[in-house]
Amino acid sequence: MAVYPVSQITSYIRQALEYDILLQDLWVSGEIANLSRPGSGHSYFTLRDAGKSLRCVMFRTAVGADKLSAGAAVIAHGRISIYELRGDLQMIVDMVQPEGVGELQLRLERLKMKLEGEGLFDPSRKRPLPRHPRRLGIITSPTGAVWQDIQTVILRRYPLVELVLASTPVQGEGAADGIVDAFRALREIGGVDAVILARGGGSLEDLWPFNEEAVAHAVFSCRVPVISAVGHETDVTIADLVADHRAPTPSAAAEMAVPDRLELVHGLSISEKMLSAAVAARVTAGSEHVARLRSKLDLGIPDIDTMRLRIDDLLKSAATHLDHGLRVSSGRADGLRQRLTTLSPALTLRRGYAIVRRGRDGAVVNEASVVAVGESVGVTLSRGSFDADVTAVIRKETTT
Amino acid sequence: MNGSPSEVDFDDISFEQALGLLEEAVQRLEAGGLSLSEATRTYETGMRLVRHCNEMLADTEMRVTQIRTAFGEQMRMLDEQDHGPRPDLLQ
Repeated sequence: MAVYPVSQITSYIRQALEYDILLQDLWVSGEIANLSRPGSGHSYFTLRDAGKSLRCVMFRTAVGADKLSAGAAVIAHGRISIYELRGDLQMIVDMVQPEGVGELQLRLERLKMKLEGEGLFDPSRKRPLPRHPRRLGIITSPTGAVWQDIQTVILRRYPLVELVLASTPVQGEGAADGIVDAFRALREIGGVDAVILARGGGSLEDLWPFNEEAVAHAVFSCRVPVISAVGHETDVTIADLVADHRAPTPSAAAEMAVPDRLELVHGLSISEKMLSAAVAARVTAGSEHVARLRSKLDLGIPDIDTMRLRIDDLLKSAATHLDHGLRVSSGRADGLRQRLTTLSPALTLRRGYAIVRRGRDGAVVNEASVVAVGESVGVTLSRGSFDADVTAVIRKETTT
Repeated sequence: MNGSPSEVDFDDISFEQALGLLEEAVQRLEAGGLSLSEATRTYETGMRLVRHCNEMLADTEMRVTQIRTAFGEQMRMLDEQDHGPRPDLLQ
């Protein structure tokens, strides 16, 4: 007999539940009871039916979590799991729809949720349409008004575009495969700038092929922008959600896909006017430039008489400058001579001063302290010189 | 065919290319700085492009091609059984 700890058993139950395909992708109908929504924002309730009940949890982000109400009869989608902390069995609900909604609608809502999660509706991948397409792929039925409407609109607005029809049935069995095949055929021939996927109005069942997952992926993986026009404006199919652009009708899709011939003709006439105005402005600018250069040329003709007078003036002024310059220079020379004379020592000697030099080295004696008694000195006068011996030295601290 | 619009080969040019070259010509001319002969040449090319675009818009006949799809094949085979081949279904 084996004995197991609780934790091992709860995790075993959890695995057993998770391996059960039915329990992991489950629709359950019942009535909502014991609804509570604590601070976490998640919803807790019980689904009841004929006296039996199933505990449910719905996370804040799940579809329809905000529309739960006690007593409502609903169909819930989710998976069965075990809350191991308490050993409770519970259903983790990811979507709730009111009871009475048809099976197709339920499948549609469920697929929308799945594809949304896969990023097929991501607004950031929506591509802009070419402004002047050369080839448009049209995926629709070759019989019927849709194809005619598209041709009429294109012929009126922009016949420059080539229409490439990839025909497919647009309702009933085989339609989804046909649409996927049409996308494949367009990809294989290549050179198409955008694709219109179109069908007239119909019931949810009629439009069903446009809600098939394979079609959604074909639209998503199309290499050029896709415009969808499926059913009436109020019927939004999954193909509409995946397509880069959605048009309310096939004719509107055709209008969206091409520019309008009348607007283009108008634009061309504007370009024509702009070209004419710009070239006229260039020619005017050119002739104004020529006129300006001409008047400069006129001004530039030399006046010889004026030039002669000017030369005379220049010569006169040169002579004056030269004369003045000479006088200034000789004045400066006199001044310099005088200053030189003043600085000469000969003049000072002539006034009775003498220069005394030490006998041993000839150094000029300018204070008593550099000679000693008995030392001989040479005395230079204004005229001649004599030698003398020092007989006494009288030092003085400061000179006057 | 890129570069100067004066070297446009008008026989082999799409509407969009012609329109692009026309816009370029208008911009070049409006920006100024062209010599008089360049300006005249740009103007002439621009006007030829305007004429060419207008002609394309007026004269082109819409082309419709039907490509082979699995469904198209079925329809053709059904039709052949009834009336012989339908030329409009295959080009």
